Order: sequence, then structure tokens, then C-alpha cells
Amino acid sequence: MAKMWEPSEELSDRVKKLRTEYFSFYDREYFRNEVMPFTTGTDWDQLYSYHDWGDVPELFNYFAGITDSLKSMAIKVDLPENFWNESSATRRAVFFKKVIEEYLPVKILDGELIVGSYFSTALSKCFTKKEVKKWWKEESKWLKEMMRLHEVGVMNCGAISGHIVPDYKKVLETGFKGIKEEIEKQMEGHDEEAKRDYCKSMIIAIEGTKRFAERYAEEAEQLAENEKNEQRKKELLEVARICRKVPWEPAETFHEALQSVWFTHMLIMAAESYPGPGLSHGRFDQYMYPYYKKDIEEGRLTKEFAKELLECFWIKHNYAYDFMGFVGVKQGITSGFGQLMTIGGITKEGKDAVNELTWLLLDVIDDMNMLEPKRNIRISKKTSDEFLMRVCESIRKTQGSAFLLNFDENSIKGLLWEGLSEEDAMDYGVVGCLENTAQGKDRSGTVDVNPNLAKPVELVLSNGRDMLTGKRVTSKTGSPEKFLSYEEFEKAYFEQLDQCMGKTLESASKADEIRAKYEPTPYLSTLVEGCAEKGKDVRNGGPIYNFITVEGVGLATAADSLAAVKKFVYDDKQITMEELIEAIKDNFEGKENLRRMLSTKAPKYGNDDDYVDSIARNISRHWTEEVFTHTSPYTGRRFRGGYLSWNYFIDFAPLTAATPDGRLRGTYLSNGIQPVQGKDKKGPTAVIRSAGKLGLETVPNGASQVIAFSSASLEDEEHLKKFASLLRAYGEVGGTSLMINMIDPETLKDAQKRPEEYDNLVVRVTGYNAYFATLGKEIQDEIIARESHAV
Amino acid sequence: MLKVPLVGKQFDGNKDLVSETRKSEGMIFNVQRYSTEDGPGIRTTVFMKGCPLKCIWCQNPEGLSTEPELMWYQTRCVAALECVKVCQEEALKLTEDGMRIDRGKCTGCGECVKACPAGALELIGKTYNAEELLDEVLRDRAFYDKSNGGVTFGGGEPMLQIDFLEDVLPKLKEANIHVAIDTCGAVPWKYFERIIDYVDLFLFDLKLLDEEKFREYTGGNMCLVTDNAREISSHKIPMWIRTPIIPGYTDDKENIEGISQFINRNLASAQRYDLLAFNNMCKSKYGRLDMNWELKHARLIGKERMEEFKKIAEDAGLSTVRWSGPTKMEGD
Repeated sequence: MAKMWEPSEELSDRVKKLRTEYFSFYDREYFRNEVMPFTTGTDWDQLYSYHDWGDVPELFNYFAGITDSLKSMAIKVDLPENFWNESSATRRAVFFKKVIEEYLPVKILDGELIVGSYFSTALSKCFTKKEVKKWWKEESKWLKEMMRLHEVGVMNCGAISGHIVPDYKKVLETGFKGIKEEIEKQMEGHDEEAKRDYCKSMIIAIEGTKRFAERYAEEAEQLAENEKNEQRKKELLEVARICRKVPWEPAETFHEALQSVWFTHMLIMAAESYPGPGLSHGRFDQYMYPYYKKDIEEGRLTKEFAKELLECFWIKHNYAYDFMGFVGVKQGITSGFGQLMTIGGITKEGKDAVNELTWLLLDVIDDMNMLEPKRNIRISKKTSDEFLMRVCESIRKTQGSAFLLNFDENSIKGLLWEGLSEEDAMDYGVVGCLENTAQGKDRSGTVDVNPNLAKPVELVLSNGRDMLTGKRVTSKTGSPEKFLSYEEFEKAYFEQLDQCMGKTLESASKADEIRAKYEPTPYLSTLVEGCAEKGKDVRNGGPIYNFITVEGVGLATAADSLAAVKKFVYDDKQITMEELIEAIKDNFEGKENLRRMLSTKAPKYGNDDDYVDSIARNISRHWTEEVFTHTSPYTGRRFRGGYLSWNYFIDFAPLTAATPDGRLRGTYLSNGIQPVQGKDKKGPTAVIRSAGKLGLETVPNGASQVIAFSSASLEDEEHLKKFASLLRAYGEVGGTSLMINMIDPETLKDAQKRPEEYDNLVVRVTGYNAYFATLGKEIQDEIIARESHAV
Repeated sequence: MLKVPLVGKQFDGNKDLVSETRKSEGMIFNVQRYSTEDGPGIRTTVFMKGCPLKCIWCQNPEGLSTEPELMWYQTRCVAALECVKVCQEEALKLTEDGMRIDRGKCTGCGECVKACPAGALELIGKTYNAEELLDEVLRDRAFYDKSNGGVTFGGGEPMLQIDFLEDVLPKLKEANIHVAIDTCGAVPWKYFERIIDYVDLFLFDLKLLDEEKFREYTGGNMCLVTDNAREISSHKIPMWIRTPIIPGYTDDKENIEGISQFINRNLASAQRYDLLAFNNMCKSKYGRLDMNWELKHARLIGKERMEEFKKIAEDAGLSTVRWSGPTKMEGD
């Protein structure tokens, strides 16, 4: 039986030390990667944009406080002459360059082989007085409208940083030097002054990387001089050599390549003043493999040392969590950022892409037991049985928590649907958790826009008003009491949904516009194909592909609600619309029997039941096809659908009235493309089929699905093989992405207390399975004890 | 001596079985998808009602009777009493100790189930025609294909509903689905003959070889079972032989040794031998059916003992022996 996932005893002493050091935030007085604010020193300076955090409603109340404290803590940066005469992009590039060349501290931890420590910043927006006025007027107006719509549970949105796969491969192959030369050529080709100026800002930003890396080389040399341990001295001198070379020059060895990627990566976080979310590596095992292979073949590198280097590289990512070290109790465990690494899958030519490095990375993942970098494993029809079994073993060992699985055939279908070239679609990378994008040429803003799909159900029943506040949210769609058929009801739902979506996209477009207009990030643009060619920022439609992703929340809640109305009001006529509306307005108070009936006797999405699965499909197709017809006017970025639903199924819960599926106000909405909690009762194959019926090609971002299994489902070779074939079948009949959870003792204890929410929980004790909720307490206790033993 | 009380209508071994089942309709109490314990690969197990045996240790007491039976779930009940109101037979009464179902009066009409707002009452047993069942089991075809799985008929005893099987099995074969029958073997050979061409695998129970004990603990005729096993083997249909290891009943060396030798000598088509450790998860089902379970206080078997039995079977010449099921925890 599996043991609780923990770091491997086999890790080297160095890696053990560095790993423990990271987890010792409170003892690390000599180094904490906390936010460092930098200012131009003007009275009107701004270091914080609300739209960067518009998707974190928990923060809304703290916006003003954060703005003020960052400004009051900020270090003043000496500005060169002429600074205020430059364009906004150039000012920001100069400021960034100055900060990384002179102000951002340099720190090498004892034993490190991959260096680069401080990257958490809050950089000045470098506004002129005139700009700040215009910016603030637009930003505050946008915020007011967005918060108004959030307060009534329609949506949240912003223009969020990170969430991109930059072109790290290019840095490895040509170095920033090569990229600079390329941009210079592009600049010469531009006739418009604005474009030439923009290219100039990119070049300035790039130039900063050279000096930045040199500072680490100098530090390493300094340390080497005082180092008594000969072995460490040698290592430091090698680190110094590498830092003098990359990321400016192309990388030639595996060690150089890792260092180059880390510098490039950490500087994006510094440039965007955003510690990590969704800044993703893309297909790491693909672009790193040539360096690995060459070093191994030429005898420069052993597999063991390659693994140790990767482990050093691994630990660095986790320092993103330091910014909340004094807030979170266990930093790095309470939250997940998603500096995602994509491995496995197929090549551009459609062949199995798994290589020796992919296998080695699985060992690193298993052994390290760390949250970052997050992992997403692409599984395709071409994936070998051996590799799939290795992945299943890792799922067993790590209780499923080590990675998400992405299914190539279903994912690629969506990317082709949104217009990616076949080559780009096959070579897709994954951002954050499961969000599919092209690599190095696409920023799809994957958590920018988060609408509540269940809210329009309430708005149909209340004819456009928020039930809690009585405020008008949308225009009338008619008194539901007068609807003669389910079709009329459904039509009203879609009209309300369209209205909500219209308002949502309008607000999202505004956030997108403000960011594009006032806050260019030339450094990141150098790593995204299209920006130099177009002379445009990555935030302003520069990339080859330009999308903003709309992540629908509460799909199953909406579908189950419509299905319950269809069945009880129109098909069976067991209740009237008046009764239903009254009950919902009263939050089912005094109407528990009606609520139970709606909750237990209506068809529920997730059971392979076409009655309700077809409704879910209609909803999904309707809104995803609708948003795809819209673009953000200022940047031209096209809206596309997705189902990530982060944690908004919680945030929207109190803001959404009771729903016709028997849900009370405050009960969580459904998450991703998951069934409503506890409502899938036919096991994993039925849930998978329900997801497959949604027709997810209109959801190019991909959709989140989590399935929980008992540890007994994976306990021996025979069961592991069955599980592997379940994954194979998922690729054929399921969705785009899957996360495996192991049922843990805590879940079972909770299920004992609240059986209604866990009606679907099947426990397996070798050779036997049963619905947990239907077992007697005594047996339940035994199973809890057994699972506690197992994990 | 039968230790399991008769509830509802049960199969009477002396009657002609065929008249007991309605042509082309199956009485089924569960269609369980993603079933991983009843044969190779990912399967759907169709649990059919009615059994010719009454094993003291029966794990699926709801499979004994051929008729639908009412079950009540305390955790779901909201005391709406709608069920009591609609029951024509006055068979229901909610007491402080829970719902009392007068099983003599209950006709299994299911009106109370419909009336209950909370889903606290469930009628165990539903009739399916072949098309309905096929529609359900074919849904997971992709999963069968990827895992070399298929459909297993269990129960109860599926062979009792031979007319229905004779209707469904050829259709499954036509659809190229792997079919397994999980049987206690205690039905006349002529039943097997009618479907044997459509079966890919028999999960065949050999519980006890001692005729007397077999009769006492299960109410059946051991010779019928062993004869059928030999016949199936002579038809060269693959078999997985299964023995439930029940403390105090089947868990003696002689029994396992005897069964193993029997397999070794007589069942050339047997591919593996499974030893299934006793488990007590069915306890609440007995309560819900108002049945007393002789083994409610029985302890789980120790892991070492299961290993020991496995070794005995292997020593008797069997090559593929597996054991599964919950075993005693440390300190238990």
C-alpha cells in the first residue's frame, strides 16, 4: 500500500539541505524573497494595478492598503537624464534595466548550483503626472463597474500577469544577444516611429540581462575566493563561468541551459511584478533534451548529476511563495501558483515525444515532493504503455498530487478550432494548471475573465434582478410564470446568459485596454514571437496569437438547475413555476421536502444521462461559441472559452441565490466541468462520458476535471493496469484534462458527518466496493482506519 | 438447517426453474460500472436477483430473493412521511428505531419510493428488457476496449434467469463484448448448455468440497456444482475459480487443499484461482433488509493466513493463485 508522499531519502545531501532551507522561512533571516517595491520617487508614482488582481476577490478590500504600503516601502531608483522625455515603454524598460543591474540584491545560497534569488518586485509604473491622471480615471471607473458586477455574483475579471509560455527555447539557442540582433533588424524594417521606439525599449530591457547575470558571476567569484572547501570552490567558479555566458550567449551544456532558463524566467516575474502565477515553461523535456543528450553522449554529464542539477533548479521556483511567508503558515503548501512544466505528448510531427529526460523528470517529481514547478503530463494515443504505467505509478506514489494529465487528441482539437496552425497545435504547451496555448507566441490570459454560469438562472426567475439586493442586473426576459414550455425557459436563460456575458466582456475589454495602453512589458515581449515584428507589446496584441480566456464557473449547477425545471415544472408538472420561484426566494426555508426532491430526484449531470448531459452541452456550446465572436476592441484579442474555475465556485456561492437543483444560497457551485458535489453516482466511467459529451472543442483553453479514487484502485499491478486503460479511454471519450485525487481519511470523516454531499463516494476495499454513505458507522470507522493506514 | 431466514420469495430448488423467469425480462438489482473485481479489465457487472443457495456468509443478501425489495436509508430520511401516506398496504411505519417495513405486507409496488422527496427509500430490483440493458452496458465500450474488459453477470445467481441471458448474451457477442458469468454453479447443466457458446469466461465458485457441510452452510448440492465445473472445463471455456475464505466455514487447510487438488485434476480450463478474504461491508445491508446475519460479529482473516492458503494452493500444483480482500489490521 502507498505511503504518504514525502521527499526521497535518496536525495543528495546538497539537495536535502537546499530543500529544507526553503521550507525554513522563519529561520532564513539572511534571505527572504519578499516583495521589493521600487519607485521613480515622484509624488504621483503608482506601483500597483488593481486589474492585475481583479480575479482575486479576496483582495478587493485590501487594494487601497496594498497600494499605500508598497509606495511607502519603496526604494527610490536614480533615473537617467531624459527619462521623462522617453515613451512609456522605454521608460519602463530603462527602469527595469536599472533595477536589475543595480538594485535587485544578489544572493547565492550555500551549495546552490543554479543561482538567482531575488525576483519578487513591485516596479514603478513610471507614469508621468498626466498619464497617472488618465490611468487612474480609467482604472477606478473600471474597478467600480467590475466590483458592481461581482457583488451581484455575475463575474470577476482583470488583466492578469503571468499565464504564458515564453520562448525559452529561443534564449537557449540564440542567447539574448541573438534576440537583440533580431529585434534590431526588425526595428530597421519599421517605418512608423512608434514601432521603432517600441523595439528600442525591447532592446534596452534585454541589455539589462547581461549585467544582471554578471553580478551573479561576480558574487560567485567572490564566494569562491573565500571558500575553503575545494569542491565547492570549483562549483562556484563553474557557476561564475556560466553566469558570464548565459542568458546572453547561447547555452551549450545542460547546466548552462538550466541556468539560462532560470534567469530568463525569474526576470519575467520581476518585470511583471508578479510572483509566479501561470508563468510556464512549456515543453521543458523537449527543448532541454538536446543539451542533456549531448552532455551525456560526450561524457560531460552523468544521469545522477543531471538529476541533482534539475533538483537545484526545482527548488528555486518555490521561492515565489516567500512573498506570503509571514501570512501563510506553511508557505508553498497553502496555495498553488502554477509555474507549469509540460512534459510528454507528441512531437510536431505527431510522433511520441517522450525521451530519456521525460523519464528522468518523473523521478525528480517523485523524489522532490515540492509544489513548484507544477507539472502537466501530456498523454496521447502514441504514448507507450511503459511510460503510461510509469505515470500511474507516480500517481500512486504521490496520491495523484504530483501533476495533471492533459489529453493530446482532445486538447489539440480545441486549439485547431480556435485557429492555431496544425504545427503549433501539436506543439502546444500548458499554462498554470491545464490551460492550453501555443508556445512562445500566444498569451491567452487564462484566468482573466470568470463569469458565473449559474447566475443567469436566478436572473430568469427574478426577471433580471439580483434576488438578495433587489438591484437590476440585466433587462427583463419576461415573467417565467408565463412561459408555456421548457423551450421558452431555456431561451430566457440563454438571453440572460448573453446579457451577463456581454457585460462581462465589456469590463474585461476595459481592463485589457488599460493595461495595454499604460503598462507595456518590453522585457517579456522579447520572448514572445510577433512582438518585434509588429512593434507591439505582448499586452497589446503583439503575439502571433491573441486571445483572452473566459473561464466558465458553475456549468453543472446551471445544467442541473435547467434539468430540474424541465422535469418537475414542464415534463412531470409536479410543481408550478410560482411554487419554485417562491421556494427559491425563501432559500427553501420551510420547504425542505421540495428542496430534497429537486436535489435527489432530478437528473444530474455526471451520470451519463442524456436528459441533462444534453442541456449541459447546449449551455457550454452556446456561451463558448458566443464569446468567440467577440474581441477586445483596443487590443484585438479574441475571447475564447475555458473551464478552469479556480476557486470562484466558492466566491460566487453566497452571491448566487438558491438554484432549482436544490442548492441553497452559499453552497458551492460546481467546479470546472465537474458534476455538482456528490451528484455523480455511476462511477468514473459515467462522469468521463458526461464530460466527453460537452463537445469541448469549442473550449480551446481546456476544462478542469478531478476524479477521486480509493487507494485500493491502484494497489497492485493488475489494478494499476486497469487504471492505465481508464486513462487511455479518457483520451478517447473524455475531456482535455484530468487530475487524480486519492480519497483520504479526512474526506471520509467529513462524509460521515455530511452524507448528503457524499452520496456518490465509493470506497474500495480490495475486492469489494460500496457507497460509503450507506455503510453503518462501525464499518465506516473501520474503512477510515484502513485508509489512514494506507496513505 | 438454513441459517439465513427466508425473506420475500426465494428460489425453490424443486420447481422447474424456467417457469420462474419471464422471457426476455431480467430482474436486476445493480448495474455497476467501472467494476474492477469481476474479471479481466474494466467491466460492468450486472447483478441479478434470485439465488438457489442460501450461504450463511452471503455478501449480497439483496440478491437472494427473486422479487424487488424495499430498503430504507436512515442518513437520507427527512421524516416527510410521504411514504407512509401513499402506502396502500400500510406496510410502513416510522418509529424511533427507524423505518419499520412490514415485509409481509409490502408488495414492492414502489409508490413510496416515488413519493419520498429525499430518496431515502429504494426499491432493490428492477426489470430490464434486453434492449434496456444493452443500452446501459454498451455505454462503456471504450473502456472495455482499452482494458480488455467487458460485461460480467453476477448476483444473486445469474444462471437462474437463463431465458434473459439467452436473449442478451448473443447480442453482446454480436457487439463483440467479452462476457463473463459469475456463478455458484448450483443450477442444472441444461441451463449452461443454452448459453455456453456466448460466454468467454466463468467466474466459478468452489466454496466447500465437503458435501455435508456444503448442504448445511449453503443449502445446495455440491455434486451438481462440481459436475458443472467439469463440464465447463470439458467445453474448454476459461474459468477463474473462486473460494470465499469465511472464518469458521471455509477457512480450513483441508478445504483449500481439496479444492486446489480438484482444480488441478479436473479443471484444465481454469486460468487462475482466487481466494477472497471474508469482508463485513455487507452488514448494513442485512440490517436494511431486516435480516439477521449470522456472521455479524465475525472477525476478518489475517494476512498471514491468506498467504498460507495461497501457498497451500500453489503446493497443490496451481500456478496462478491470488488472494484479495480486507485483512485484519495490525493491533486488531
